[in-house]
Amino acid sequence: MEAPPVTMMPVTGGTINMMEYLLQGSVLDHSLESLIHRLRGLCDNMEPETFLDHEMVFLLKGQQASPFVLRARRSMDRAGAPWHLRYLGQPEMGDKNRHALVRNCVDIATSENLTDFLMEMGFRMDHEFVAKGHLFRKGIMKIVVYKIFRILVPGNTDSTEALSLSYLVELSVVAPAGQDMVSDDMRNFAEQLKPLVHLEKIDPKRLM
Amino acid sequence: MSGVRAVRISIESACEKQVQEVGLDGTETYLQPLSMSQNLARLAQRIDFSQGSGSEEEEAAGPDGDAPDWAGAGADQDDEEGLVKFQPSLWPWDSVRNNLRSALTEMCVLYDVLSIVRDKKFMTLDPVSQDALPPKQSPQTLQLISKKKSLAGAAQILLKGAERLTKSVTENQENKLQRDFNSELLRLRQHWKLRKVGDKILGDLSYRSAGSLFPHHGTFEVIKNTDIDLDKKIPEDYCPLDVQIPSDLEGSAYIKVSIQKQAPDIGDLGTVNLFKRPLPKSKPGSPHWQTKLEAAQNVLLCKEIFAQLSREAVQIKSQIPHIVVKNQIISQPFPSLQLSISLCHSSDDKKSQKCAPEKPGQEGHLYVLEHNLHLLIREFHKQTLSSIVMPHPASAPFGHKRMRLSGPQAFDKNEINSIQSTEGLLEKIIKQAKHIFLRSRTAATIDSLASRIEDPQIQAHWSNINDVYESSVKVLITSQGYEQICKSIQLQLNIGVEQVRVVHRDGRVITLSHQEQELQDFLLSQMSQHQVHAVQQLAKVMGWQVLSFSNHVGLGPIESIGNASAITVASPSGDYAISVRNGPESGSKIMVQFPRNQCKDLPKSDVLQDSKWSHLRGPFKEVQWNKMEGRNFVYKMELLMSALSPCLL
Repeated sequence: MEAPPVTMMPVTGGTINMMEYLLQGSVLDHSLESLIHRLRGLCDNMEPETFLDHEMVFLLKGQQASPFVLRARRSMDRAGAPWHLRYLGQPEMGDKNRHALVRNCVDIATSENLTDFLMEMGFRMDHEFVAKGHLFRKGIMKIVVYKIFRILVPGNTDSTEALSLSYLVELSVVAPAGQDMVSDDMRNFAEQLKPLVHLEKIDPKRLM
Repeated sequence: MSGVRAVRISIESACEKQVQEVGLDGTETYLQPLSMSQNLARLAQRIDFSQGSGSEEEEAAGPDGDAPDWAGAGADQDDEEGLVKFQPSLWPWDSVRNNLRSALTEMCVLYDVLSIVRDKKFMTLDPVSQDALPPKQSPQTLQLISKKKSLAGAAQILLKGAERLTKSVTENQENKLQRDFNSELLRLRQHWKLRKVGDKILGDLSYRSAGSLFPHHGTFEVIKNTDIDLDKKIPEDYCPLDVQIPSDLEGSAYIKVSIQKQAPDIGDLGTVNLFKRPLPKSKPGSPHWQTKLEAAQNVLLCKEIFAQLSREAVQIKSQIPHIVVKNQIISQPFPSLQLSISLCHSSDDKKSQKCAPEKPGQEGHLYVLEHNLHLLIREFHKQTLSSIVMPHPASAPFGHKRMRLSGPQAFDKNEINSIQSTEGLLEKIIKQAKHIFLRSRTAATIDSLASRIEDPQIQAHWSNINDVYESSVKVLITSQGYEQICKSIQLQLNIGVEQVRVVHRDGRVITLSHQEQELQDFLLSQMSQHQVHAVQQLAKVMGWQVLSFSNHVGLGPIESIGNASAITVASPSGDYAISVRNGPESGSKIMVQFPRNQCKDLPKSDVLQDSKWSHLRGPFKEVQWNKMEGRNFVYKMELLMSALSPCLL
C-alpha cells in the first residue's frame, strides 16, 4: 500500500488511519473563469493543471446489507500514471466545531490491470463516469474543480455527455485521524472563495 | 447829485483805514479795508430793486434792499465817484440793472415753461442720463469712498483666495505624496509579494515560492515615508515609500570561490575572507527600494547557498573531509590543492568599514563557479518545486512520483534510487572546480612546454564551447617551415573532471591522471617521436630510403621518460646512410655512414680484396649536430641529406 506522503507522522506499514476532510460546492459554467482566476491567485505557485479522469465504482455484495464500495480511477490524459484505487468510508458530519465533512479513506496506487483483479475478486461495476477539470494545491489542501460526464456507451470513454451545467468544486485534505485543525484552515480558505462559490459540508444522506 | 458836478475834485480819505475805535490812550484800531468784492457786495445790498421796475418779482428778489441813498455816505463816496467818472453818461448801476433784467426775462421764460410742463399737455420732461455727471465735488468723494470700499472688498476676497490656495497647495502636496505612495506601492506590488498584517504591510523577500526550503523568513516591512518637511526642498531621489529590511540581510554579500595551491595555516581560516569589498560610491541619501530589496534578496540567496553547501559539506563523506570554518568551506579536490568557498557579507556599519581591503590579485575569484553556484541553487529550487507534482488521477494523494510509481511497477532499490538524484550542490561545484582546475593546469602545461621548447613547435587549439564538466583541446606538434609534410602528431585532449583522455591520431586512447607531470612527460615523448617521424617524412620527399624505423628502441641508454625512437635512412644512391636516434631526455644523436672507399683510416682488410667491396658502407660517424647550420632539426636534416646526395645536375 502506498502511504500518503503528506503527513508529519511516520508512516508505518499503512496502519495509520487516514481521514479525508471534505468541503463541497458548485459553480455554474459561466462563472468558472472567475473562480479559476481566484484559485490561481490563492493557491501555490504552480502551473495550473487540468485533468481528465475515468472513474469506475465497484461493488462487492456480501452477506451484509450494505455493499462494499471501491473506486478505481485512471488518468486519461497522462500516460504512465498509475491507477488509483480508493476506499471511502461513511461520511461523518460531526458537530459545529468541525468545519468539514470527514470520512475514512484508503488510497492505493495500482497497476493498470486493476479492473480484472477486482472482477476476479467478485466485484461488480456499479457505474462509471468521466471527470474533467482543474486541479489546484495550497499546502496540503487540494482543490478540484471538475465537471462530471456521463458515459453513453459502457466502457467507451469517447462518447460522453455532460451531466449538468455546473462544475463541482471540492476542497479536500487527507490527514491522519483526529487532526481536526486542518478543517479550520479549510474553512478559512473557503471563506476566501466566497462569494464565487460557497463551500459547505454537504451530507450525502440528506440528498438521497 | 454828485454826478452833475462839472468840476473834477480829487478826494482822498483822511485815513486809508477806517478807525474802529480810539483807545483811551489815544491809539486807534483800524478796520481792515474792504476788498473790492466785499465792497461790491456791500453796495449791492443797498440796491433798491423796486425802483425802476414795477414787477413784483423784483420786489421779492430784493425785499431787504432799502432804497439806496445814492449820495452814499462817508468812505463809499469816492468809489461811486470813480464809476461816475468812467461812465459819465450812464447811470452807475446800469450794468447791474441790465443783468438783472435779463435774469428776470429768463426767469419769466422758465416760469412759463414750467407752467406748460406742469400741464403735461404739450411738453414733458424726461430725465437725461447725463444728469449724474455734472455734480462734481461730493460725487467725487463718494466715488473715492466707494472705490476704496470695493477695493478693500476685492482685496479681502483675494486674500481669502490666496489663503485657500496655499492651503490647498499644501494639501495637494500631501495628497500627491499620498498618491505617490500608493502608486509606488502598486509598483512594489507588481514585483514583490506583499501582505497586510494588522496596520503594517509586510513583504516577502524569500525564494520560498520558487521552491526554496531555506528557513529564513525573509520579511521586509513597507514604510510610508511622507512625513518630510514640505517647506524644505524635496531631495531629488525622494521616494514616499521606503522598505525596512531585516538587519541580517542588509549590506551586500557574495559567494567567493577560489582555488589555492597550498593549504594555508589552519589559524588563518575563516578570517582571510572577511575583507570588505570596496563598495561602489553610493549616492547620498537612501537608495531606491528596488535596489535595496534586490540587494537584500541577493544576500538571502547567498546565505542560502552557503547554508546548503555547509550542510552538504558536513553530511557528505569524502576521503578528505570538507572543513567548514566560520564563513568558509574548504575542500581538497586534488592533493595540495584547496578549494575554498566563502560567504562574504559586508554590511554598511562602521565596524566592517575598518576591515583591511583585500590586496588585489591575491587570490583569483573563480567567477564562473560563483555564477554556476547561483545557477545550481536555482536548479535545486526548481527541483524541489517540480518534485511534488500534481497527482494524476486527480483523486490520488499528493506525493512524489517515485513513491506512487514504485509500488505498482514493483521497483527495486536501484530503480528507485535512479529516479531520484542525490548529487548535491557541493559535489557538483567541486566537480566543476576540479574540471576548471584541470583545464587551467593543462593549458599551463602546454603553454610552458611551448614556450620552453622551440623545436618542435606545439600548437593548442581550444574549443570555445565547453560543458561544465568537459572541454577539449587539439594539440599539434609541428616543425617550423615543414608544417605541410610533418603532420604526424595530432592529439585530441579531452579534459574531464578527474583525468585527461588523449586521443591519438591513429585512434589510440591514453588516459592521463590529473598530475601535470604525466601530461608533460607524454607531450615530451610525443615531441621526440615527432622528430623521427619528421625525418621519415623528409626522407620520402628527398627520395631517401627508410631502412629501419622504430618508435620504441630497446637498445641504448634507458630514457627516464618514455622511449627513444630511431630511424635509419639510406641515400638514393645507397652510398650513405643516416641513422637518427632521438630520446625525450637524451636528445638526438645523428650518425652518418660513409661508403667504405671514402674511409681513409680503415685498416686494409685481407678478406675484402676485391674493389667491389669498397662500395660497402663503412663505419658510422657522429654528426656534431649543434654545430650544424639550420634553424631547426628538420632543416638541419634536410641540409645533411642534400649534402650527402650526389648532385643531380
